[in-house]
Amino acid sequence: MSATPASVTTGASPRRARRLPRWSLPTLGFLGLAAAVALPWLVNGYVIALAATALVMAVLAMSAQLLVGWAGLSPLGQAGYLVVGAYMAARVATLTDLGPVQVLAATAAGAVAAAVTGSLAVRARGIPFLMVTFGLGELVHAAANQWAPGGSEGTHTAPVAALPGLPAMVRPGWVYLYVLACVLVIGAAVAVLVRTRFALLLRAVAAHEPRVQAAGHHTGRLLLAAYTIAGGIAGAAGALAIAVTRYVSPADAAMGVSALALAAALIGSGSMLGAGAGAVLLVAARDWVSGLLGGHGPTLLGLCFLLLAYLPRLRQASRTLRLPRRRT
Amino acid sequence: MTTALLRLAAVSHSYGARRAVDEVNVELPVGARHAIIGPNGAGKSTLLHLVAGTLRPTAGQIHYAGADISRWSAPRRARAGIARTWQHPALAHPLTAVQNVLLAVPGQRLSALRPSRSAVLAAEAALAQVGLAEHADRLAGQLAYGDQRRLEIAVTLAAQPRLLLLDEPSAGLAAGEVTQLAELIRALSADITVLLVDHNLDFVAAVADTVTVLHHGQHVATGAPAATREHPEVRRVYLGTDLPTGPAAGSVPERPAATGAGTPVLRVRHLRAGYAGASMLTGISLDVRAGRVTAVVGRNGAGKSTLLNALAGLHPTEPGTEVLLHGQPLTGWDARRRARAGLGIVPQRRRLFAGLTVGEHLNLPRPRSSRPGAVDTRQVLDLLPALAQRRQHRPHQLSGGEQQMLALARALLADPDVLLLDEPSEGLAPAIVGQLATIVTGLATAGTAVLLVEQNLALACQIAHDIAVLDRARIIRHVATADIREYPNELHDLLAVPTAAAPASG
Repeated sequence: MSATPASVTTGASPRRARRLPRWSLPTLGFLGLAAAVALPWLVNGYVIALAATALVMAVLAMSAQLLVGWAGLSPLGQAGYLVVGAYMAARVATLTDLGPVQVLAATAAGAVAAAVTGSLAVRARGIPFLMVTFGLGELVHAAANQWAPGGSEGTHTAPVAALPGLPAMVRPGWVYLYVLACVLVIGAAVAVLVRTRFALLLRAVAAHEPRVQAAGHHTGRLLLAAYTIAGGIAGAAGALAIAVTRYVSPADAAMGVSALALAAALIGSGSMLGAGAGAVLLVAARDWVSGLLGGHGPTLLGLCFLLLAYLPRLRQASRTLRLPRRRT
Repeated sequence: MTTALLRLAAVSHSYGARRAVDEVNVELPVGARHAIIGPNGAGKSTLLHLVAGTLRPTAGQIHYAGADISRWSAPRRARAGIARTWQHPALAHPLTAVQNVLLAVPGQRLSALRPSRSAVLAAEAALAQVGLAEHADRLAGQLAYGDQRRLEIAVTLAAQPRLLLLDEPSAGLAAGEVTQLAELIRALSADITVLLVDHNLDFVAAVADTVTVLHHGQHVATGAPAATREHPEVRRVYLGTDLPTGPAAGSVPERPAATGAGTPVLRVRHLRAGYAGASMLTGISLDVRAGRVTAVVGRNGAGKSTLLNALAGLHPTEPGTEVLLHGQPLTGWDARRRARAGLGIVPQRRRLFAGLTVGEHLNLPRPRSSRPGAVDTRQVLDLLPALAQRRQHRPHQLSGGEQQMLALARALLADPDVLLLDEPSEGLAPAIVGQLATIVTGLATAGTAVLLVEQNLALACQIAHDIAVLDRARIIRHVATADIREYPNELHDLLAVPTAAAPASG
């Protein structure tokens, strides 16, 4: 690699004084991956199912993070596109039990739904954007109740097969590993996406939209493209969701799911990995610790948010302690 | 027509009922260096917005390179070769300097994982052209203000423009930086046409071949910088002699009747303040006395508003600054505490609360109970009768004059001992300015100490007892109004046409 592009993409900030050593990121990544792969042999079926759900939420959080962390827009309706993807995957499941085909179809359905509705959303900024996306999510919820197969009862699907020739997966451990593989592929694609010039332009739009317009870019189209891609990622999360639960209902489009994705993106403060980790944390707090605390999961969640917002020292640390490789 | 790159044909733009730009004609041949000057509110920035496409003309056409671009969007105009800067540097602060420049380099694919070699070279060349090569990898938000201005110019140059629009490029720059900027613009290739707006007439004379003077949105004169300076209409606009004399110049009582007149209520010593390291004010010392009006005059960007905001606690001052109200040091007091202690500010552009009616505005301030006979709403409305019939209206339904009266009323209801007025005459019709003069004179007579900041020299001369002239971060002259009236030409030079010989050391 020549030195110039590297120097272009690294911003030296005097505030980021404490740097983690260079080997820390690969080591942490490897340990995390090893733990994730080994999980089915370490814990019981319930926790494995929870972990698979957490991975699905991590994908939805990445979808939200593309809009929050890059385009500077906070969506509150990403669950709507997840449900569109889930119903599409359920439809495709009646034709084939191949998981990857379902994921591709769901991605396309989520992207098309987002492209159609996005022209409404990307006219708004800030709180109005939040309201418009919330409204769109609720409309999807209502439409699913009205017209989707099974109505408000939802619909069940058959187990999926990971590859042609393999049997359909019924054991939670195998489903979990399939979802983990899909999440890694989606994560890699997103990692490439956020290093493109497109992502740089999105960050510039978030920082100063008129400047990007004056540079000759149609910011509305850029944001619509980002919204469409985010819808596609959410749709893929929908296909993974029915691989885990073998069931989809309109309740999956509930505002709480969108809010959880948005919260995970905000916890992840501007990084995709952070958004995924935030989603895992939130699902763990909501479903797993809640069981240990006798149903006080929401209390814990609320306290965690207050802590995050009001511990300035913690916020300072999140700014100064960064991993050595920075996103472009 | 084919020789002109840009031609404005009777272009107008209205904000509601106010015509900010009124049938202006401008024609720029390829390679022109053209400046637009005029007092505050003349419509200069609006004109740039109209050319850049961030505003659309309400009447008239804009022809660029032979095409009528009046209906084109801003990005389309940018792709056609129109690049622009803003009055305040418009940069993506979380991105590095070179990333900001790369935003504008044309011919890059959206899917590119890293900028192409040629794009990086173009960006580096643009940074080198403005002298920022060594800051390429610093975040734009961490650059000093002057460097941010230069970075913004690098962004525009990287777009390979045919027409460059610069909105007050010299504002907030130190004298040396202004000289560098003038050299930079002079050195641009001859096929780049430059249209700029600026208040610094030295800079304009150094950069521009032709100048257009606007006043209240209307075209006053066009010509070479030296010729327009001598134009009688231009001198009138800048001196502000089109104002009615109102209360005769000599009618201000030298010794107001109110008791305690003449004692300094507000003492300012060695005040220093600035923006992001750039010093806007140094060593300002002033006394504001009860019952007297002190005016601070100076050009745009001289630091007048910064001075008032620093006194009101809305802008930080640097160590060494002493501000005493009734002998009580205000160091470390925030704006709320200063307001409670008796400092009232009427900010520039009024800063009214958009959603509140006039009545709600008047109910907001909590009167101080320390002084007996504190003003109540009725007294203020007696003083400002224009507001009485407008209690149910919101600010956007008021005329400029009524808005100014409301801002004044809001400050008066807090019963201030010292009233800080920031450009109260800005954008007001002459008759309203006359009313305002009467009101402020009345307040001073009643014992309030008034510190007035103005570009409108005529108003300052009419109501102030003494005048301080602010230039290049310092007070270079502080004299009684009667003395300053004897040298109108000297003041004209100071305010409108400063020369290098101006006594900067004071």
